[in-house]
Amino acid sequence: MSAADADTELLEDTAARRRATLRRYARHPAFVSGAIGVVLLVLVAVFAPWLAPHPPTRTDLMNTLSPPSATYWLGTDAFGRCVLSRLIWGTRISLQVGLYVVLISLTAGTLLGAVAGYVGGWLERVLVAVIDILLAFPSFLLALALVAARGNTLDSIVLAVAIAYTPRIAAVMRSVVLTIRPRPFIEASRAIGLSSWTILVRHVIPNALPPVIVVATVSAATAILAEAGLSFLGLGVQPPTPTWGNVISEGQTAITTRPLISLSAGLCIAFTVVVLNLLGDGLRDTLDPQMRRNTGKLL
Amino acid sequence: MSVAFELRGLTAAVPGEKGAVRLVEEVSLEVRAGETLAVVGESGSGKTVTFVSALGLLPKPGRVIAGEALLDGVDLLSLEPEALRRMRGARIGMVFQDPLTGLNPVFRVGDQIGEVLRAHRSIGRREMRERAVELLARVQIPDPSRRVDDYPHQFSGGMRQRVLIAMAIALGPRVLIADEPTTALDVTVQAQVLDLLGELRDAEGMAMVLITHDLGVVARQADRVAVMYAGRVVETGTVEEVFRAPRHPYTISLFRSIPDIEAPAGTQLAAIAGSPPDPARRPAGCAFAPRCFAATEQAGCRVERPVLRGERHLAACHRLGEPGVAA
Repeated sequence: MSAADADTELLEDTAARRRATLRRYARHPAFVSGAIGVVLLVLVAVFAPWLAPHPPTRTDLMNTLSPPSATYWLGTDAFGRCVLSRLIWGTRISLQVGLYVVLISLTAGTLLGAVAGYVGGWLERVLVAVIDILLAFPSFLLALALVAARGNTLDSIVLAVAIAYTPRIAAVMRSVVLTIRPRPFIEASRAIGLSSWTILVRHVIPNALPPVIVVATVSAATAILAEAGLSFLGLGVQPPTPTWGNVISEGQTAITTRPLISLSAGLCIAFTVVVLNLLGDGLRDTLDPQMRRNTGKLL
Repeated sequence: MSVAFELRGLTAAVPGEKGAVRLVEEVSLEVRAGETLAVVGESGSGKTVTFVSALGLLPKPGRVIAGEALLDGVDLLSLEPEALRRMRGARIGMVFQDPLTGLNPVFRVGDQIGEVLRAHRSIGRREMRERAVELLARVQIPDPSRRVDDYPHQFSGGMRQRVLIAMAIALGPRVLIADEPTTALDVTVQAQVLDLLGELRDAEGMAMVLITHDLGVVARQADRVAVMYAGRVVETGTVEEVFRAPRHPYTISLFRSIPDIEAPAGTQLAAIAGSPPDPARRPAGCAFAPRCFAATEQAGCRVERPVLRGERHLAACHRLGEPGVAA
């Protein structure tokens, strides 16, 4: 075989590998449906002003608690506000909460867990103790207490839920880091004179991320659920701001006559949680080399 | 040639139930610029621990309790951790045994080579890449300008070891420590990697320490050899001296246990009876005495630790020069 042949083969090999990676994702039904669902939600949130048939807080006092009609597809609530429009706008709040909570708890949890796992010693013992205490404490109660103390703005809700979810990420991160720390390339990194911090950021964390990303995706779903729960209890973002939790809570008064109001908001939450979980499952399967071997050839 | 790297009485230990367990004891070695010192010994004899300790990389709770590691006269072990970190990779490089897992799987090879440069010099991205290509060429990776963007899994074991060598020599260190660099590679690739190490040593005028348990590798590559047993150096000399006339009973037994291809069929392979002592339970006298063909009560083998004796070709044995032991 000439060198040129070997070259083309190598290039084709790389391209084939890339295609195989894409195919691996495309062939995973849970990943595909989860991803489509999440993309849909994001589109709805981004284009809410154009998609919503009515302003979400405009009251139509002539049509309170009206049944679904051509004007109000899902009917109106007790103040005569369009339920569909409120749900569409509510997507923004829910996704924001999910996104920010994941960003904050992923960053904080990754750092805390990685430091605990990599540095070891008394620092690890202290961090693990704190993580365990937070994990043992019901996270919803924790969020509730924080919101009660800080006031119920979107910021404090995000912060409260993020603090509740950080220890989960940290615990997973630490356990993964413990499996990476003894690997030879970490020792090799020390032998070439990299500082501990560089090794942690450049070598340990990137290798530990896949399982953590999976946990984070699922956490986004539970964070959205937590926000809805807080809203339902009246501790979320205050009405008349449209959130799914608020819609459920407001629909409650008319649940016997107009169950569709609370039900539709509940379905929105359920849909979001399901698609995020599907995405998480899909990521778990495709990011895990063991699974990869089962689904197709690689390496 | 000047002494580039010298260990003086290096002793490293881990805490045990009954006080410190000494993993290596009073190891003294030196290696000159342009020369290869082979350190041989079986698994657990302390070859790796010696050099990992000298670089300040011994995992906790192990620590060096005595001795010096002099790099051009500067004791590495007395340096602040940050100063020692700056030495590692820049002035003294180390290549480990397992090339397959020695590279981070998630980064491109070129970036990992560049990382050594960036850890010690301020350097731009483009220059980093150029240097990485140069270094890949130095370690004879074909088509380096393209392979620089590949990931470790796209390299064979031998090529990965070359990449690790490229990283170790990136900043032109004075000393390169190669810890069983060819153990994980197949035989034809072993020879290539060893030749490469020899060429690089000559070209750079580096001092090289080659940790191995393969006497064939020693004969082929090294100028001088140090034999380790149970955490101590038991014999040291030039390869010629040690191979022609081994003086320590352990070394003698080692050479006897090399299978002889000319031996008649059915000949039993010679082996050293017993196994090396547990570091926590080493015998009081010579650690090799329980397995030694020459050990006697009179010579104090079971009572006193022997010290290295001799002019240039040293051995640590109570019965040196006595009948029953080779001169």
